Amino acid sequence: MCRRGRRAERTVVLEARAASVLRFEDFIDRLDFLTPRERYCLKLAGSEILDNLVKHASPIYRSRIYARATRRGASILLGFFFRSPSFAAFAGDGGPWSAVAKPLFDPAHRRWRGIGLVMCRNLARRVDFRPGERMDRIFLEFEREK
Amino acid sequence: MTQLDITVHNEHHRLLLSISGPINSYTFTDFQEKVYKAIAQADTAIDMEHVTALSSAGLGVIMTAMEDAETTGHGFAIVNPSEIARLAIDSTGFGDRFPVVKTLKQV
Repeated sequence: MCRRGRRAERTVVLEARAASVLRFEDFIDRLDFLTPRERYCLKLAGSEILDNLVKHASPIYRSRIYARATRRGASILLGFFFRSPSFAAFAGDGGPWSAVAKPLFDPAHRRWRGIGLVMCRNLARRVDFRPGERMDRIFLEFEREK
Repeated sequence: MTQLDITVHNEHHRLLLSISGPINSYTFTDFQEKVYKAIAQADTAIDMEHVTALSSAGLGVIMTAMEDAETTGHGFAIVNPSEIARLAIDSTGFGDRFPVVKTLKQV
């Protein structure tokens, strides 16, 4: 049992496939150092990140994505760690996450696109995409519930 | 809970879809199929009290259903969303445009 106010951290290893969103949701549901509303924010925003990684950042090295939730001080951090040769382009100027986009309706597929990005921006205080030589990372920072 | 359960029944001359479980990128196709089918046929309400996650894919289905409802002239409502479903709706930045009601009687 973790006490609020102290640092707490959990990590899960996910396969880079669509079904992993279920395992990720279960991981978030078990974070006993967060309030229910804090868990909801992490679950909603984190699922969008994971879904986009699986769809747009493949191939991912060894098909492994590490997700780490940390409560520290007044912040909650959700980090995704992976290795993807296409991530730099995915996160770069032309990538879907860098555009200041509004949701748009795609009539050909009868689907709205861009909603997930808006959700992440509104749920998290900060979203950082950090391509690296040895490890690519995405960090979402959330405010703790008062 | 990892499975999405959807039951459909007639109530007060409309189709009521009761949703239980997560609507995410992995499960939303069943939700999409049943919602689009319902709104094409009749006034439709979706009870979201027991929804445990609502992704952008699920929100997109709801937004398309709202447009289909205008086209077909059928009513459409979201009934009593769970706290996480309400948070997902509000996180779009235009949550006030979603037809959310507390009970079916308000439709």
